[in-house]
Amino acid sequence: MVFWACGCVSLGPGFASAAAAAAAARPSVAEVRSQRNAVFSREQARQRALYPRIEKIEVSMQGPGLDGTLLVMNRGMSTPLSCARHLTEYHVNNSVLALVDGEPWPLHQPLTDSCSMTLLTFKDSDPTLANQAYWRSCAALLGQVLQTAFKDDYTVELLSTPEVPVTSGAFCCDVALDPQLDSWTPSEESLRSLTKGAQQLIHKDLPWEPLEVAPSVALEVFSHSRCKQEEVEEKAAQHPKGRVTLYRCGDHVLLSAGPLVARTGLCSQYEVTALHSLGQGPWGLHRRAQGLSLPLQLQAHHTVWRKLRQRAEKLVEVSRLEEAAPPSPPDSTPPPTSQ
Amino acid sequence: MRLTLRALISHGRVARKMGLGPESRINMLRNILTGLVRHERIETTTARADEVRFYAEKLVDYAKRGDTDEKAMKMASFWLTEKDLVPKLFNVLAPRFETHSKGYTRMARLPNRENLDRAKMAVLEYKGNPFPPLYPVKKDNELTLINQLLRGYREDRAQQLATKA
Repeated sequence: MVFWACGCVSLGPGFASAAAAAAAARPSVAEVRSQRNAVFSREQARQRALYPRIEKIEVSMQGPGLDGTLLVMNRGMSTPLSCARHLTEYHVNNSVLALVDGEPWPLHQPLTDSCSMTLLTFKDSDPTLANQAYWRSCAALLGQVLQTAFKDDYTVELLSTPEVPVTSGAFCCDVALDPQLDSWTPSEESLRSLTKGAQQLIHKDLPWEPLEVAPSVALEVFSHSRCKQEEVEEKAAQHPKGRVTLYRCGDHVLLSAGPLVARTGLCSQYEVTALHSLGQGPWGLHRRAQGLSLPLQLQAHHTVWRKLRQRAEKLVEVSRLEEAAPPSPPDSTPPPTSQ
Repeated sequence: MRLTLRALISHGRVARKMGLGPESRINMLRNILTGLVRHERIETTTARADEVRFYAEKLVDYAKRGDTDEKAMKMASFWLTEKDLVPKLFNVLAPRFETHSKGYTRMARLPNRENLDRAKMAVLEYKGNPFPPLYPVKKDNELTLINQLLRGYREDRAQQLATKA
């Protein structure tokens, strides 16, 4: 069984007719994607048009060697990345996230007010935020790969990506595949082709464009997927202002809990390690795809990578307790009784 | 072949000449050694530090014999010009190096002296001194992504071993 980015999961001939009938009822994957893209672009253009005249804002940079540098940027147009471009190439290539007035801010999101900004990298004295953003971005990339990897006859429902700490060893992406694939377990070859798909995306160096929208627009974007709409409502409820942040990478629009990294080119060693089945959920057989990745600036020696990868194949358990309760130790052996 | 030139070229001669003569050399080394025992870390020229190293280690070997030993006491009182350092040698330095068999001193190069002579400088210290280390250990940032992953890996392994045992 070999499958590829254009999707060629070849199962037995008996499935063909049932799949074709189901596919005819649903809009095709390409249509859904183009519709989401269109809504996203429309909303992006509308938000940009809110600033017809160029207004200037003052951004004061903080950071090693930059304290108090004042940059005069445009409101609603300049992003932290453009501020980095005014500095040096090192800042452009190595900044992961920006901290605007203490708030994590994706690098491609336009600035709206005069503020003080810090550019975060992976090698700071406290890269916790950068690490979390990177982990989230890798999970989003995995979701994108899974969405595009299967043939059009099979639906792929991306469920909400759980927030996993970095120490657990692997990032996860929860997905519910088509019921026809319930008995399918991925072989090494399939995992390797998923990895190849991800590496292709990384090589293209696509930026993750953020867009903060009202929940109604987000519901329109995900109008074909009931699962995603529920997720939008959940996220809107949690956000203080009731807005939802969408990200677009290439032509795939996704939802994320927190800020993502600037572009896919920042990941270097990326591998999809496993796909575990977690049992039946409301949307079908709940599966967890896991992967391991390291950024371009922190590459590991192959011996270290092999050990980390072996650990990443184990199932990562995420406790369903919300509100900053630390997740249970990610192990197949029962966790020791602590507390 | 002119044989007189061989007397001028120091073919393989390892003994250094310092000061005005052999006695001057010993006196100079005595002063430096006293300074070393008092301060436990001193800066001098590289040649002098290298010479003193031999005598410093031999002195500690004598001190290890204990202050009841006649020869050890004579050596200590000869080499240390300030007599309040003799108890320090026997009561502080000797016990410190009980477990070491050799290698009680450490020498590191310094930038050349700022004077006109631009002399090669070195710092000489007794190991175990209370000052910050000469070669500071640069610790890796524990919070980088790769270190966090490795930490999780280590905890995982420890847990596995604990459940196996």
